[in-house]
Amino acid sequence: MKKIKKVSLLVFGMLALYSCTNLNEIVLDEYNAAGLTDKQAAEGAIVPVYAFLPNLYRHTIHFALNEISTDEAILPYRGGTDWGDNGIYLSLHKHETMSTDPNVRDEWVHILTGISRSVTAINALQISKDPAAKLYLAEARGMRAFYNMLMLDAFGVAFSKEDLGDVSTILRGDKAVEYIKSELLAVEPVLETSVGPGRLTKAGAWGILARLYLNAAAYRDVYAAQYTFKPEDMDKVIEYSDKIINSGQYSLSPDYWAIFGNANHDNKELIFAIDQRAELNGHNRMSYFSLANDQRPLPAFPAANGTDGPAITSDFYQSWVSLYGSVDPADGDPRFYKQNIKPTDECIAEAQYNIDRGILRGQQYGLQFAGGAFLKCPDGKFKVGKIYNTRKAAPYPPVIHTEKIDFTPAGSDYSTGFRVEKYEFSKKSQSGRNFGEADISIVRLADIYLMRAEAKLRKSNDVAGALADVNKVRTSRTANMPAGSALSTINLDLLLRERGFELYWEMHRRTDLIRFNKYESGWTEMSSKDKNKRIFPIPQTAIDGASNLPGYLKQNAGY
Amino acid sequence: MKKILPHHQELFLMKSAGLKLISFLMIILLGLSPSLSWGQGSGKTVKGTLIDASTKEPLVGGNVLIKGTTKGATADANGQYSINVSDDKAVLVFRFLGYDSQEVAVGSRATIDVSLKANASSLEQVVVVGYGTQKKTDVTGSVKSVSSEAFNKGIINSPEQLLQGKVAGVNVTSATGEPGGSQGITIRGPGSIRVGSGPLYVIDGLPLDGGIGNFLNPSDIEKMDVLKDASATAIYGTRGANGVILITTKKGKVGFSTMNFSTDYAISSLARPLPVLSAADFRTQVGKNGGILEDFGSNTDWQNQITRSAITQNHNLSLGGGAKNLTYYASFGAQMQQGILKNNQLDRLSGRMNVTQKFWEDRLIIDANISFSNLVNLRPPIESLLGTAISNNPTLPVYEANGTTPAKFLNASNPLITLNLNKDINTANRFIANISPSVKLAKGLIYKLNYGYDNQTAVRDIQSLANLVPQQNGRLDTYNNSNQNSLVENYLTFNLEEGDHVFSALLGHSFQKIQYQGRTWSINKFPIVPTEPIYNPGIGQELTLATNRPGGSATINELQSFFSRLNYQFQDKYLVTATVRADGSSKFGSNNKYGYFPSFSLGWRLSEEPFLKNTSISNLKLRGGWGQTGNQEIPSKITQPLFTASVSGTTSYPLDNGTSYVPGITYSRLANPDIQWEVSTQSNVGLDFAFLNGALSGSVDVFNKVSSNILLEIIPSDPVQPASSVWANVANMQINNSGVELDLDYKLTTAGGWKYNVGGNLTLIKNEVVNSPYTVIQSGGASGSGLTSATINGYVNGQPIGTFFLKDFTGVDAKGVSTYRDTDGDGIVSDKDRISAGSALPSTQYNFFGNVAYKGFDLSLQFNGVSGNMIYDNTANNAFYKLKISKNNNVIPAAYALANESTSNAAPVSTRYLKDGAFVRLNNTTLGYSFDTQKMGINKWISTARLSVTGQNLWIATAYDGYDPEVNKNASDAGISSYGIDYLSYPKAKTIIFGLNLTF
Repeated sequence: MKKIKKVSLLVFGMLALYSCTNLNEIVLDEYNAAGLTDKQAAEGAIVPVYAFLPNLYRHTIHFALNEISTDEAILPYRGGTDWGDNGIYLSLHKHETMSTDPNVRDEWVHILTGISRSVTAINALQISKDPAAKLYLAEARGMRAFYNMLMLDAFGVAFSKEDLGDVSTILRGDKAVEYIKSELLAVEPVLETSVGPGRLTKAGAWGILARLYLNAAAYRDVYAAQYTFKPEDMDKVIEYSDKIINSGQYSLSPDYWAIFGNANHDNKELIFAIDQRAELNGHNRMSYFSLANDQRPLPAFPAANGTDGPAITSDFYQSWVSLYGSVDPADGDPRFYKQNIKPTDECIAEAQYNIDRGILRGQQYGLQFAGGAFLKCPDGKFKVGKIYNTRKAAPYPPVIHTEKIDFTPAGSDYSTGFRVEKYEFSKKSQSGRNFGEADISIVRLADIYLMRAEAKLRKSNDVAGALADVNKVRTSRTANMPAGSALSTINLDLLLRERGFELYWEMHRRTDLIRFNKYESGWTEMSSKDKNKRIFPIPQTAIDGASNLPGYLKQNAGY
Repeated sequence: MKKILPHHQELFLMKSAGLKLISFLMIILLGLSPSLSWGQGSGKTVKGTLIDASTKEPLVGGNVLIKGTTKGATADANGQYSINVSDDKAVLVFRFLGYDSQEVAVGSRATIDVSLKANASSLEQVVVVGYGTQKKTDVTGSVKSVSSEAFNKGIINSPEQLLQGKVAGVNVTSATGEPGGSQGITIRGPGSIRVGSGPLYVIDGLPLDGGIGNFLNPSDIEKMDVLKDASATAIYGTRGANGVILITTKKGKVGFSTMNFSTDYAISSLARPLPVLSAADFRTQVGKNGGILEDFGSNTDWQNQITRSAITQNHNLSLGGGAKNLTYYASFGAQMQQGILKNNQLDRLSGRMNVTQKFWEDRLIIDANISFSNLVNLRPPIESLLGTAISNNPTLPVYEANGTTPAKFLNASNPLITLNLNKDINTANRFIANISPSVKLAKGLIYKLNYGYDNQTAVRDIQSLANLVPQQNGRLDTYNNSNQNSLVENYLTFNLEEGDHVFSALLGHSFQKIQYQGRTWSINKFPIVPTEPIYNPGIGQELTLATNRPGGSATINELQSFFSRLNYQFQDKYLVTATVRADGSSKFGSNNKYGYFPSFSLGWRLSEEPFLKNTSISNLKLRGGWGQTGNQEIPSKITQPLFTASVSGTTSYPLDNGTSYVPGITYSRLANPDIQWEVSTQSNVGLDFAFLNGALSGSVDVFNKVSSNILLEIIPSDPVQPASSVWANVANMQINNSGVELDLDYKLTTAGGWKYNVGGNLTLIKNEVVNSPYTVIQSGGASGSGLTSATINGYVNGQPIGTFFLKDFTGVDAKGVSTYRDTDGDGIVSDKDRISAGSALPSTQYNFFGNVAYKGFDLSLQFNGVSGNMIYDNTANNAFYKLKISKNNNVIPAAYALANESTSNAAPVSTRYLKDGAFVRLNNTTLGYSFDTQKMGINKWISTARLSVTGQNLWIATAYDGYDPEVNKNASDAGISSYGIDYLSYPKAKTIIFGLNLTF
């Protein structure tokens, strides 16, 4: 019995030793931010508000939704092998997008992340003692308004939320416009003037306000057969455009391509832009996306190639032809094309090697690639010449971009369509996809002039005033050949065309077409007359997620 | 916690009750054979045969002992023994495990043949249940035991392969044909839509964290017990929802001293190459299908170039034995397996030592097990290798004119160059030890401590060499992982037998801690030198953080449990079992730390009733049970909030023109203290039977398993959230599995010495998702260019998990372009027109076997099959369509079978590539011959010798035209499981194995 008692004690001991756990989870690999100084906490609160912008403005997300849905871009099922993507890019172009489209979901989620981070920052900065907190708070509120404007523009809704613990109030139409407006107006006096273009400044807020007022008619009643542009809204467009132009802080870039160059951060034309840094958040997607699969822009990285992505439609190309007639647009407008490689070039040193910019037509030239590496000239320079489509059968046909591009098998072939290389291909990129460094423009001065011109036309048909603004933009590109020429007349149709020349592939086209009542006008492979498609469907996942709150989140009409 | 008494109190109650008890019965029936030693001496030799009284089978290994001495002998493979006795007065005692022993006086006889009768009480199989063993006849849950003799034969890497087809209700799918590739296993259908819904594995009492992998030497496994229904698994609480597999390793036997050596030599080759065109056919078909032939002049079978006849060697040496107070088993194993793809090799070295020692007149018994294994896995880049081999133009030459340098192509890659430049090596070491002393505290009361420790470390290097043409800079990625799993269990078992009443109880506490740590780093840009980066990463030249950011993660999970089981039997006819487990997990939210998992089951042994006694029905038992179990396989930390300050592309942003960036503070997760386990509620009714005096035996089970409280990453109703999804238990949603299982086994031994054994099993199962608030839960992202963002699986209400949710291909139109059914009639074919087009989960699984033996020969055949399931052939979707042949890519003839299809018709994801997955396979067949060592006069040195030849995967009948219908590429999406997708899956091998087995 003694022995048994001893053993029993042992049992109790064992149990006592190992049972006293409260099962609190120990986290080893993560830490909640703590012990931060006021300055670190305040700065740490504001940076995430901007940090998702490079992701949102991606080729497949914000770009695709706002350009491939228009006449400026079309993306067929390339050669029956590439960019099939479950038909989402065909649907997008045909205005047949579904609520299950993953890029629509990404746009939704990314904008919401921006709104949510803004709310988090507002909550944190309201109680911050840091001297800069007041400014950051204004920026966070302004960015919440900006993200909500993107949300309203894409999905017809805005989310008003003051505290992370609240349930958002969903706003539509005029209420959404008023909410965004009042928020921007509230913070505008506090915003800085000189921290841009990567951050929201006074001028950035003015630019966003100008855009909001200009589109207010469409935002208030997106399905209207004809939009009614209120004169007081147009006055506000002019007022805020004037403020920017008269500030003297910004100027039109003499070199059009510098606005989209790798060193564009200090370009005086940029008012609000996404500050991309190769070592932090940069991506090169705007540059490689449209290029031919056999175009390899970096001598150091044979793996960095194009994707045979979207091209412009022939309708958009013909809008250039409609102005310049028998003159080739490349000879008529500095914004159309910049040649960097001459067909006669045979050898180019690595440091000097740059591909062409602008709208790429016809035979393409570039580095000569064979068996996985580039060919070199005897002097060590890189061999340059015609590039060939190696995904075809030998003898490989040369890569010749044609005007015709559509969804027929012939029109969907790898080389069809005129391509766009507006943003400079980053030399820091290795994969072709990573390490972009060019700032991506959100608001720039040329747009401000063109918005002011439009407001002048819409308000009082002030043709002279509008023409002056348009020509100011056209004739400022003095560093390029050919020099820009002045127009002799202007009207709304010509202004829309001019916006296309200046702002193509800058993710404004869908909003512009809707505002100009041209979104259902039809173009290559687009014949939908459905006004419901002006805004996108709310992702099915979000509708499903909100199914426990009946009536809270309603799907947009027509989806 | 409030439902459970503080353990000190409870223990005290148990102990004082225990002192009053008068009898005790140990459940474990270990090492029943008495000790004996080999007898040699003067006098005379007695010979004879030891056989089973009813079946007349020889009792191989039966004992003959001279009464009153320790002299004895063992019956050989034919049941024959030979023993020297000193004189005619000697009495021989004949014994065999599970039989009544017999004493025979020698007298003047020189030959004594003895037939032993099976002992009714010990004849029955013992099955391992959680925290103990039970006689099979006493088990009230659905439990199936598979012993080593019944295991699948062939080259086996993981225990799941041993079990494939052996147990009704258990579906084992080898996801790939890669040596050591992962095995999919579900018991009674998936109860969760998330990944990680496999069963719990328990090795010699140590529950593992995650799957079983390849570390265990299959020849060390004595048996596996599969607990299927909730009344059996509820004792494992939150980890029992997907079934439990208990693995018992081999132990030594008292009185035997054996050494076993086995060696296998196997040759494997590609079982079914894809029927892509030969160069000659290719030359005609490219043009016929609208292309312009690119003829490079060679005739290359690219699949042949990347595959080989692979050699596998497997050697095992085991030692076992024991004396009165000590038994031991020790083994060493080495398996060197080549994959049928070049540059693929899996080597395993393993060692094990199992010891049992008894003290204090058997009052203290200590079991101790130690095992070690080392796995080295060399892998080529499988998908790219297969992708190029099946698509490359067959007229391309393999080598340049010199015949040794792999040729380089402009628009295609040479898989041989890929093989030369890339490799992936994983080295894993695993050490498991457990010690479990048990003490008899009083009559009927046993206390047991179980301490277990499992330590795994793995290093994986993925290397691509720098090269000039094709130009690449070279890169090395290194991953270091380690896992520690420690367990402490204390439990008491208590047995009471009085008259018609048999009562036993179990009460215990368990604490388990699982730690995981992983780290990774990389380096870029290597010089083109003979030194490989894995041997000296320091020769790398570029460490930019943007591409080489070191990473790491670590978690600690703790699980604390209290468990109890009560068994009661009346007249050995009426059986009752009740269990309860309280499981607390650090993974659960603070509001739901503990879950309670009860079960209750009843059994009625009809065959013990007077009306069936003395009939040819030797066993008939009706079982019924109900229970609840949980599933806690959710990520760690999801109940806790996380707001981090970090510098990364998505959290930080430049505030000025400087180049240092402020860490951004972001919420990655919000706290959800309510998160708890998924609950699985299962009812089971079963019948065990044995007719014809035990010759025909089997069981039938009907079950219904309902999973609720489904854990999912959901989208919040207010979408303005720091994280776009949060983990939650979805209200009302259920996943139901119901089915019928049948096992049959028939044995016959003829008077002429022929032995037959046929049998099999059948599972019919239905899975259904109900009350899902989601329109469709998508998974199975399609792979391959042009197919981005299309999903293949979609789980909707009223349909099973594993459903293929696809546009319905209806043929081609006048232009030769694909058409799809417009199910909603809106004139557009869109995602809304997708249909539930069948499931990857088979509705029927079956297995049948036949064994025949005569004299020294034995032959066995093992078939398994499934039907009612579909496979999505993503490989064909990506590589085999008409447009591909027109572009000089190789295809299978089916790609251009539609004569009026346009050569520019694209191939989006649709039912066009959905194929019937039914198959029946001759899984393995073995022909063996056991030598008569006695006749050969070598039995003093070699007691048994057996030669065998085994064929693995020699024959299959299926309509599926991919490499193999048994396939499951992991294409899970956001943690949601995909099923039944074939995409460049490692092809299966057919293998011939020659084996030699010697026992000394």
